[in-house]
Amino acid sequence: MAFVVTTLIFGVVGIIASLLVRICFSGGPSANLLHFTLVVTAVVCSWMMWAIVYLAQMKPLIVPILSEGE
Amino acid sequence: MAIDEFLDNLPPMDLMRSEKMTLVQLIIPVESAHRAISYLGELGLVQFRDLNADKSPFQRTFVNQVKRCAEMSRKLRFFKDQISKAGLLSSARPAMQPDIELEELEIQLADHEHELNEMNSNSENLRQSYNELLEFKMVLQEASGFLVSHDNHTVSEERELDENVYSNNSYVETASLLEQDMMRPGRPDQSGLRFVSGIICKSKVLRFERMLFRATRGNMLFNQALADEQIMDPLSTEMVEKVVFVVFFSGEQARTKILKICEAFGANCYPVPEDVTKQRQITREVSLRLADLETTLDAGIRHRNKALTSLSFHLAKWMNMVRREKAVYDTLNMLNFDVTKKCLLGEGWCPIFAKTKVQEALQRATFDSSSQVGIIFHVMDAIESPPTYFRANHFTSPFQEIVDAYGVARYQEANPAVYTVITFPFLFAVMFGDWGHGICLLLGALVLIARESKLSSQKLGSFMEMLFGGRYVLLLMSLFSIYCGLIYNEFFSVPFHIFGGSAYKCRDATCSDAHSVGLVKFRDPYPFGVDPSWRGSRSELPFLNSLKMKMSILLGVAQMNLGIIISYFNARFFASSIDIRYQFVPQIIFLNSLFGYLSLLIIIKWCTGSQADLYHVMIYMFLSPTDALGENQLFWGQRPLQIILLVLALIAVPWMLFPKPFILKKLHTERFQGRSYGILNTSEMDLEVEPDSARSQYHEEFNFSEVFVHQMIHSIEFVLGAVSNTASYLRLWALSLAHSELSTVFYEKVLLLAWGYDNFAVKLIGLAVFAFATAFILLMMETLSAFLHALRLHWVEFQNKFYHGDGYKFKPFSFASLTEDED
Repeated sequence: MAFVVTTLIFGVVGIIASLLVRICFSGGPSANLLHFTLVVTAVVCSWMMWAIVYLAQMKPLIVPILSEGE
Repeated sequence: MAIDEFLDNLPPMDLMRSEKMTLVQLIIPVESAHRAISYLGELGLVQFRDLNADKSPFQRTFVNQVKRCAEMSRKLRFFKDQISKAGLLSSARPAMQPDIELEELEIQLADHEHELNEMNSNSENLRQSYNELLEFKMVLQEASGFLVSHDNHTVSEERELDENVYSNNSYVETASLLEQDMMRPGRPDQSGLRFVSGIICKSKVLRFERMLFRATRGNMLFNQALADEQIMDPLSTEMVEKVVFVVFFSGEQARTKILKICEAFGANCYPVPEDVTKQRQITREVSLRLADLETTLDAGIRHRNKALTSLSFHLAKWMNMVRREKAVYDTLNMLNFDVTKKCLLGEGWCPIFAKTKVQEALQRATFDSSSQVGIIFHVMDAIESPPTYFRANHFTSPFQEIVDAYGVARYQEANPAVYTVITFPFLFAVMFGDWGHGICLLLGALVLIARESKLSSQKLGSFMEMLFGGRYVLLLMSLFSIYCGLIYNEFFSVPFHIFGGSAYKCRDATCSDAHSVGLVKFRDPYPFGVDPSWRGSRSELPFLNSLKMKMSILLGVAQMNLGIIISYFNARFFASSIDIRYQFVPQIIFLNSLFGYLSLLIIIKWCTGSQADLYHVMIYMFLSPTDALGENQLFWGQRPLQIILLVLALIAVPWMLFPKPFILKKLHTERFQGRSYGILNTSEMDLEVEPDSARSQYHEEFNFSEVFVHQMIHSIEFVLGAVSNTASYLRLWALSLAHSELSTVFYEKVLLLAWGYDNFAVKLIGLAVFAFATAFILLMMETLSAFLHALRLHWVEFQNKFYHGDGYKFKPFSFASLTEDED
């Protein structure tokens, strides 16, 4: 559940970012397409990183075993 | 298909493919040629082809003008040299004078050079005389000391001579001479005991003395004294130490020998009068003359410096002018001089979007040179492949340079730089992830960007220049590093609880078995990133290793799939359905049925928490696919699915190997024997863009074995590469582990250790060592290391899926690029 919610948050952030980039750095249609590609790539990379780390911790096979110092 | 229509209707993306280039031909009348080329140089959008490539530089038309320009630039370099030698600063005064023509400049430069050379030679002469007089003065000062005591020591010297004579009985000559001298004992000065006084470099004194001793067979007395001041050696313009010497000897032959030896050793001999009053008189005269010469020399130097300063005001402007003219003549040399038609023919590449600008510039040139005939400019068909031109702005150009460093894109093939802009900093960050270090990098990048205007006009060292050129790369790297640092939860290796509490807690209130069995997960995973409870625990490394290795595989498979999909778009753009059907499809199937399946298994294992051993699953998928999976079963239907995937992968290999060469052969025979209309629709290359027409002209042969071997190499490379490239992505894990461990070591073993002491000095030293270690090892070395490995991943693992990189870059004739080239 939290996974889906956060994925949707990433999607919304991506849409907002592409709109912002369109407003601030607008060029011709070809330049806009490039900016859109860059934003989408960045959002997809970031989401993948987060999703991998989140999924790996959902049902872990090992747990933290504290070392002597703590 | 709807998708095809959608893709076709999209506007072409900036930077994705090279700008469309066209080959143009220019026919320029002679009177407007120079002006036309200058205007084109200012515009900077045409790359001229060298039509006289087979001629040597001396056979070309404008060789004289080029020589004149070279001569002028030599003179300008000479002036610059003189200015820097004189220690003056070359400052460029804003151009108050109007621009001058090249011929006038030539004459002016010749005049200035002549003047400067005269002044220099005059100073040379003066300085030489000055040196001689100085030496004479020193000889006078020191030698007078020897000669005063000479009178007192004459008797003892004679006795020394006696002894020498009797010991050298075999040397009859010398003995007889000395015996003669000894016959007249009463007049010591007239006894033939004469002297030579002079001055010699200190380094040669020992050898000089020995040589004299040998030549005169020991019958000489050598006195030396170090001169007070150092003298400027005219040849090496250094200050050398000199030694004043006086050699006492007797006999005429000894004298000639000594003088010759003096000459050989470069010792200067000066006559010193024995009379003390005369000595004083001469010393006074010499001092006076020295003072005169000094003032003259100073005046000469001041005059020269004034001339040099006035030159330095214009120097930069003149050098620029000469450089431009030389470039214009070099370009004119590339054109063909059509003597019968009194005009120059030129060929060049120019982007299609710039055609109107070029025509405008040519029209202006015609108008400005009041020529009657206009310049003809028309498009030609290209036989060879055009150069590649990407219009990158100063944000994307460092990424484009990174891609170009491996190979310039073929004309109109997909440019990996579009994705590299994001994925390169991202992969860097995966290996560097620490938001504390990321903030340090961000500060550095922001400093470079803030002082952009100031730093871009300065001349920087090569390291700073690279750093400054990559400031936007550094900015993106730092932003992604901060993001990945937040995900790995490392701030100088310290975890924080920014996104809420940890998902783990002790099993009971006493935390008694926290050190043996461990904590227990009691709620949803930590919402963003790695749970802070892992840091410092004994099972931290097994967990993180498993996480990071699987992450590397997932990221790697994703990037490689992206590469293969880009190759699909390339094949689509060049309308090569063979490449789509017999290269793209089998490649996608092969990669995904093996490593895509592995990625799927990883995700399923994470989602279900299964204890299946993925190594086991993958290996036995190949070794014994029909065996029961037992406890390695992750989902229903896994065994039949694995068999299907294995079969697909096995089919894909001959699919990508065999059909393409046979179909190419069939196409080739059909094109050149029969002209069947149906086949031409699926022509392999776009005839306008690809040099297939050239191939048809000079390459009638279709070498089947060559094509087959090429395809085999390509397939084997892909199949083996699928395994090795996937494994290569594990460096993402390796480097991030190294970074994290180094960071932990520096934090725990340096900072915490030092902070534990009560002593303030120890704390300070610990902090300093921690700061230095972080800055040099983590921030510099690790940055370079992660940069390099991210680069390798892009250049090899990503780009070998689709990139050819055998094009050449568009280098237009432009004055702006000249100033960076030379000097």
